[in-house]
Amino acid sequence: MVESKQQWKAWLYLAPAIVLLLVFTVWPIINTVAMAFMENYSGLVKVGGDSAFRIGFGNFVRVAQNSEFQSSLTNTILLCVITVPVSTVLALLIAVALNAIKPLRNALQTIFFLPYVTNAIAIGMVFAAMFNIVGSIGGRREIIVTAGIVNNIIEFFGGQKVNWINIGSTYWANMAVMIIYIVWNALPFKILILTSGLQSINKQYYEAAKVDSTPRWRVLTRITVPLLSPMLAYVVITGFIGGFKEYTSVVGIFGEGMGPAHDPGRLNTMVGLIYDSLATNNQGRASAAALYLFGIILVVTLINLQVSKKRVHY
Amino acid sequence: MKKLLSVLLLLCMLLSVTAFGAADEVTYDGSEVTITFYHTMGSNLTAVLDNYIAEFNTLYPNIHVVYTSVGSYDDVRDQVSTEITVGTQPNIAYCYPDHVALYNLARAVKTLDGYIDSTATVTRADGSTEILGLTPEQKADFIEGYYMEGAQFGDGQMYTMPLSKSTEVLYYNKTFFDQNGIKVPATWDEMEDVCAKIVEIDPNSIPLGYDSESNWFITMCEQYGSPYTSATGDHFLFDNEQNRAFIARFREWKQEEYVTTQKIYGAYTSGLFVSTDMTRSYMSIGSSAGATYQRPAKGADGSYPFEVGIATIPQVDPDHPRVISQGPSLCIFRKDNEQEMIASWLFVKFLTTNVEFQAEFSMASGYVPVIRSVADNPVYAEFLNKADGGDYVSALSAKVCLSQEKAYYTSPAFVGSSVARDAVGSLLIKCLTIADGTDVDAEIGKAFEEAVEKCRYAIE
Amino acid sequence: MTADRFDVMHARNMKKLSGEQKGLEILGQGLVYLFLFLMAAVVLFPFYWMIISSLKSLTEYRLSRPTFWPQQVLLSNYADAFTTAKLGVLFKNTMIVGIVSTLLSLVITVLTAFAFARLEFKGKELLFAALLATMMIPGELFTITNYSTVTNLGWRNTYTVLIVPFLVSVFYIYLLRQSFLQIPNELYLAAKVDGTSDFKYLWKVMVPLALPTLISITILKMMGAWNSYIWPRLVANDEAHRLITNGLRNAFTDTTGDVNYPVQMAAVALVSAPLFLVFIFLRKYIMSGVSRSGIKG
Repeated sequence: MVESKQQWKAWLYLAPAIVLLLVFTVWPIINTVAMAFMENYSGLVKVGGDSAFRIGFGNFVRVAQNSEFQSSLTNTILLCVITVPVSTVLALLIAVALNAIKPLRNALQTIFFLPYVTNAIAIGMVFAAMFNIVGSIGGRREIIVTAGIVNNIIEFFGGQKVNWINIGSTYWANMAVMIIYIVWNALPFKILILTSGLQSINKQYYEAAKVDSTPRWRVLTRITVPLLSPMLAYVVITGFIGGFKEYTSVVGIFGEGMGPAHDPGRLNTMVGLIYDSLATNNQGRASAAALYLFGIILVVTLINLQVSKKRVHY
Repeated sequence: MKKLLSVLLLLCMLLSVTAFGAADEVTYDGSEVTITFYHTMGSNLTAVLDNYIAEFNTLYPNIHVVYTSVGSYDDVRDQVSTEITVGTQPNIAYCYPDHVALYNLARAVKTLDGYIDSTATVTRADGSTEILGLTPEQKADFIEGYYMEGAQFGDGQMYTMPLSKSTEVLYYNKTFFDQNGIKVPATWDEMEDVCAKIVEIDPNSIPLGYDSESNWFITMCEQYGSPYTSATGDHFLFDNEQNRAFIARFREWKQEEYVTTQKIYGAYTSGLFVSTDMTRSYMSIGSSAGATYQRPAKGADGSYPFEVGIATIPQVDPDHPRVISQGPSLCIFRKDNEQEMIASWLFVKFLTTNVEFQAEFSMASGYVPVIRSVADNPVYAEFLNKADGGDYVSALSAKVCLSQEKAYYTSPAFVGSSVARDAVGSLLIKCLTIADGTDVDAEIGKAFEEAVEKCRYAIE
Repeated sequence: MTADRFDVMHARNMKKLSGEQKGLEILGQGLVYLFLFLMAAVVLFPFYWMIISSLKSLTEYRLSRPTFWPQQVLLSNYADAFTTAKLGVLFKNTMIVGIVSTLLSLVITVLTAFAFARLEFKGKELLFAALLATMMIPGELFTITNYSTVTNLGWRNTYTVLIVPFLVSVFYIYLLRQSFLQIPNELYLAAKVDGTSDFKYLWKVMVPLALPTLISITILKMMGAWNSYIWPRLVANDEAHRLITNGLRNAFTDTTGDVNYPVQMAAVALVSAPLFLVFIFLRKYIMSGVSRSGIKG
C-alpha cells in the first residue's frame, strides 16, 4: 500500500521533467533519425503531397559528398586538434605557475578567469576589431584608414602587417585568428580545473622533489602531469566535445558569413552547416549532418576514454 | 439500376455546375473572418497601414486584419515556410519571388487568376457594390513590369500582387561632377572613363560603390542578354563566356580601386559616398528606396556639404535599358475556409489598387507606387515636384524610378533561385578580389564552376 | 612511490640545499612571475582595448598610429550605443527570460533530483541512466525538430519559446542529486517519524542544505540566458523578444554607413558589464559551479 503510494508520488515529482523531456528531447531524437533516412525529406514537400521519400542512406551520401561538408569537417577537426592541446598546455603551465607563487595568486587567478564570464559573440567583435583593417587592400592602389591594433603592434616591432580577416586574407591567417580567440576563450575553464586539481596533490611529493633538487620541468613531467592526469583527461575530453560544437566563436569574428567576404563559408563548422541546411528547408540532410556530428562526438569521447584508461593514474 | 441512377445523378451535378457556375460564383458573403498578415514594416509604415485598415473596415467591418512585423524578409520566409509544414501559415505575407517558389513546394500559395478575372458582385457595408476581380481599368493601371512579376513561375499563373517597388539607381555627387565638368555615365564604357578621371582628380578616392553584388551580376546578365537562370530545365546557366568576360573586366576595375561593393568595403557603400573624409566615393549604386542614406549629413551651417544627383544605372545598351525590379509583393495562402481567402484577396486588392494608400505608403517608405494613377494624386504630385538633391532626395529618386518604367526586369523564380542569387553575389566578390600575379582566367573559371556546383547541391 | 619513502629522502637530503640553489630558486620564481604577468597581459588586452576604444571618437579610433589612451574621453559613445543597439529592450527581454527560466528550472530540478535521490519507484536506475545518456547528444540534433514543434505550438516570437524548451537540464538534475545524496538518510527517516511530509522535508531541510549547488545552478542558468544565441536567433528574432547577444550582433550588421567601432565597443562593454559585476560579487559560487560543470554557460 505504502509502496504504491510512493510510486505514485515519485512520478508526480518527476512529471514536469518527464513531459518536457518527452517533447523536447525524446521526440526530436526519434524524429531526427527518421528524417535522416528519408531522402531529401522536406516538411514543405511533405505538405505538398509528394510524401513518398525514398528510404535509405541517400542523405548521408549526399551530405558526405558535399564539398561544404568536407570543408566544415576539416575546419572543425583542425580547430579541435590545434586549440585543445595548445590551450591545455598553456593552461597547465599557468596553473602550475599559479601554484608556485603566494603573493598575487588570488588576483592573478581572478584575471585568468575573466574571459569565462564574457559573451562569445560580444568579445568576438572586440577581437574582430583588433584584427580588422579598415580600408582597401590587395589592389594596385592600397588605401588604408587603420590597420588594426594587432598589425600596429607587429609593425611597431618591425614586422609586416598581415591581412588577417579582410578581403583577400588567406585561410591560415583566418585560422590563426580563430585559434587565438578560441584558446583565449578556453583558457579560464581549464586553468580553473587544473589549479583546483593541483591544490589536491599531496605537498609531500613536491617537498621531496625539492630536496632532490629535481629540475622544474622534470617535476612537471614526472610528478605534476601524472598526478594531474584525471583532470587533464577531463579538460581534454570536454575541450574536444566543445570544440566539435564550435560555431558562435566564428560568428563573433566573421559574422554569419562564416568567412571573409570573398569566400563566405570558408570557416564554416559542423554546427554551422546543420543550421544552413535548416534554412534551405531540407530537414533530411540537416538531420543526417546532425547524426554525423553525434557520431563524431561519440567516437572522440570513446577514444579519449580509452586513452585515458591506459594513461590516467588515479 | 442503382449504378445507372448514380451515373445520372453525377451527370446532373456536373451539368448544373457548368450551367449555373457563373451565377453561383463564389464571392465574399459578409461573414466574420480574421486574416493574418506577415510583413517587415517598421513603425512608420505600420502607422500608414493602420489608417488604411481602418478605411478598409468601413467597407468590410467583418474582415479583421491582424498583422505581425516579423523582422527581415528572410525571417518572413523562414517563419512562413515552417508554419506551412504545420498548417499555421498566415493568410497574407510579404514575399519575394524566391519565397513563393519555396512555398509552392507545399502548394501553399493560392493562384489569383480566379479572383482577378471574377466578375462576381461583392456588397460592402454601406450597401454599395464592387466586383470581386479587377476591372479592366484597374488592371491597365498597374505598371506592367511590376504586375507581371506575379506570373513568372513557369506556369503562367498569377501568384502574387505587387505592393510597392524599388530598383537600383546611380547616385552621384552632383557638386563634384559639375565642378569638374564630368558627364554622368550612361554606359559601362563611359563609367570606366569617369572612374579614371575621378581617380586623376582625387587619388585617394574609390570612385564607385555598388551595394548589391548579386544585383550587379544579375543585371549585367540581363543587360548583355546572356543566360543567368531558367525556371525550367537546367536552372543554372550563368557560367558562360559573356559572364566571365564582364567579371574579368570588373576585376580590372577593382584592382584599379575604381569600384568597391558592400561586402568588399564591409559596410553599405553609401557610407563612403556621404563621407567627407579623405577616403570617399563620388558615385554609389544602391536601392532607390534608400535615397535618404545617400544624402550627406548637414554641416554646422545647416546646409548639405554636396548636392546629390540621381540617374539611371549605366547600361550596356542605353537605348534598351534594363534595371532590376525589387521590393515586396503580396501572396495569399491556401486555407480550408474559402471566405478567408476571398477576404484576403479583397484586402490585397484594396492595398494594391488604392491610390491614396499607394501614394502615402510610397512617401513614407521611399518605395515607388505600383500603379500609374498615383502620379495624378495631388499629394504625390506635389511631393514629386519638390524633388531636389537635398531635403527631397527621395522624391528625386522616385522620379527617376517612374521615368524608367519600361526598363524593369525580374529574374525567373524557382526553388533554388535564391541560392543562385547568393551564389553569384559571392562569385562576383571572389572574382573581383583575385590578386594580380595569379592565373586570373583560371581562377575565375574555377570560381564559376564552384558556384554552379553549390547551386546544384542545394536543389538536387 | 609512497609518501613514507619521500619522507626518508626528505630528511636525508635536507642538508643539500645550498646558497647557490637558493639564488636559482629566486631567479626561477622571477621567471614564473614574468610568465604569469605576460599571460595576464594577453588575457586582459582585449578588455583594455574594448574599453579605451569605446571612449574614443571615430576619428581618433581611425588614426593610423593608435593612441593607447583616448585623447578626449567620449562618454557619449555609451549613450549612442544604448540607443543604436536598443539595449534597453534587449536587457529587459534577457532579464525576463533569464529570471523566469531560472526560477522554473530550479523548481523542476529540485523536484526531479529529490525523486531520484530519496523516493523509491520502479525503473529508477534505468530512467536515470537514460537521462544521463541524453547528455551525450549534441543539442543541434534536437533543434531541427524543436524548431517545427514550437512553430506547431504557435510559440514563435514569444517569451515562452525562449524559456520552456530548455527548462530541464539533465546536468543540473545530476548535480543536485549528488548534493541531495550527501545529506544523511537518517535526517529523512527522522522527519518521516515526526510525520513531516516529503514536500515539507524537501523544502525545509534539503533545499537549504543544498543551497550552494542551487546558487551555482542559478548563476550558470542566468549566464546561459545572457549568452544564448542560436536558438533565440531561430525562433524569436522579432524586436519585441530579441535577446541581448543576437541584438548586439544585429545592431551593427544592419547599419547603413560605416561601422562606428567606438560605439560598437561601448555596446559590447555595456553587455559585458553585468556579467562582470555578478562575477565580482559571486566569484566563489561561479568558480565552484563551473569547475563541477564542465560546460560553458
